[in-house]
Amino acid sequence: MQLRHVNTNLRQGLRRNASMHLAVILTLFVSLSLAGIGLMMSKQADLTVDVIGSELQIQVVLCLPDDPQNASCTSEVTEEQKSAIADAIEDNPEVADVTFESKAQSLEKLKVLLGPEQFEGPDPVFTVEDAPQAVRITLKDPNDFDGTVDAVANLDGVSYITLAKDEVKPIFTLIDVLQYSSWGAAAALILASILLVANTIRLTALARRKEIEIMRLVGASRIFIALPFLLEALVTALVGVGLAIGAVAAFTQFAIVGGLGEVVKALPFIGWPEWVETSLVLLAVAPVLTVVPTLLLTRKYLRL
Amino acid sequence: MIRFEKVTKSYAGPDKPALNQVTINVDKGEFVFLVGASGSGKSTALRLLLREMRPTTGRVYVAGKEINRLATWKVPRLRRQIGTVFQDFRLLQNKNVSENVAFALQVIGRSNRDIKRMVPETLELVGLADKANRMPEELSGGEQQRVAVARAMVNDPMILIADEPTGNLDPATSAGIMKLLDRINGTGTTVLMATHDHGVVDQGRKRVVELEHGRVVRDEASGVYGYQH
Repeated sequence: MQLRHVNTNLRQGLRRNASMHLAVILTLFVSLSLAGIGLMMSKQADLTVDVIGSELQIQVVLCLPDDPQNASCTSEVTEEQKSAIADAIEDNPEVADVTFESKAQSLEKLKVLLGPEQFEGPDPVFTVEDAPQAVRITLKDPNDFDGTVDAVANLDGVSYITLAKDEVKPIFTLIDVLQYSSWGAAAALILASILLVANTIRLTALARRKEIEIMRLVGASRIFIALPFLLEALVTALVGVGLAIGAVAAFTQFAIVGGLGEVVKALPFIGWPEWVETSLVLLAVAPVLTVVPTLLLTRKYLRL
Repeated sequence: MIRFEKVTKSYAGPDKPALNQVTINVDKGEFVFLVGASGSGKSTALRLLLREMRPTTGRVYVAGKEINRLATWKVPRLRRQIGTVFQDFRLLQNKNVSENVAFALQVIGRSNRDIKRMVPETLELVGLADKANRMPEELSGGEQQRVAVARAMVNDPMILIADEPTGNLDPATSAGIMKLLDRINGTGTTVLMATHDHGVVDQGRKRVVELEHGRVVRDEASGVYGYQH
């Protein structure tokens, strides 16, 4: 293949449609940034569910010796009490899933919630002995919890019960709103960028119609004719996604790591590992978003 | 080399078909004039040969292959076997003579070494070796058409299709182009030329196929433009 010819055409194409390419880059930049933020939000939601439970969950916290939450708890929950609690839960039709949390697992979650400082050093505020065992129940319906609560509330060995529904609903509502509004705006802008790509191809096809007509007549392959268009799309996609990755990095630094993460200590927040994952997704998605429409549209406008 | 077998081509709309049950057979190395009034179906026949479209019914063969059944990705390979020349030359104004001819080789991926060898040879063939660096606007109509012929021939096709190649030229220049096409035909290339040009056809004394309202109304081995009385 004549690489020099392709290269010359690519440079000419980028120069000829500079303003159009700039428009595509800007819309891709904004749309991918929003999509990236949406993805980060969904990761934040997953992390929040992992640590504090989803609104479908009930947490049955079991007794500790001298339990500060429940005076009737005098000793650590026994194995017999635990099995009685398990039987009561598993017989309940409202329950979808049950997991037991050991003292060590409970301690790990406390560390995430409260920060590691209080668990370290020679005389830590919390040790594994202070962490209660718990039963995490996932409900089939977040509103059907009465039967389960009634079944376990008065059993021996139960310290207290928390309904995640009441605690986490506002947080999930906020995350959901941010996530879906980001994705909605991203989808609209991605559509706009595809329309811009279509316009660019139409204009270029018009400007180069004689050249393309000759290429077709002398037997240039479809891929050869479409290649400058595809490369232009790829270049704009890469510039757009580069800017978007930068914008998501800024969001991660200023809104999460150095922002909410500093202010709201009661919740765990995502960070740079999630930014890397999101960047990889954007890197994979952006070329597809421009190259696939270009392939389809070149067929249409160049009659390939 | 070329065979139309009961070819009918209808376009959308109530009009009569552009080609109606046309059967034409052109042997290897033949020179055929395709004549007829505007709208008689000449251009449709040429476009079918280039697989710009498919016939509504019937079959079109090039070098023994039925081209309407050709997979789309194989069409470029078919077109490399067919050189095409048009009335309006269709040269790229931002490229000089040599670059215009080289373009046809570049876009099918020929190597630079091939291009450096083949372009001057072809310019020699069409008599433009000394104008390789001229821009199209610096050339006369006849010279521009020679460049177009060079571009069509540079890849050494089996068939040369010429659609009104003398339509924009005066009689003396037309005669020069005809001599060139004759010489190309002499090297074994099959030439199919659609034309309105009475003078060119009458002087050529070659096979004439006449189309009228999409039908073949005359096929003479050594004909003139109109009927011979």
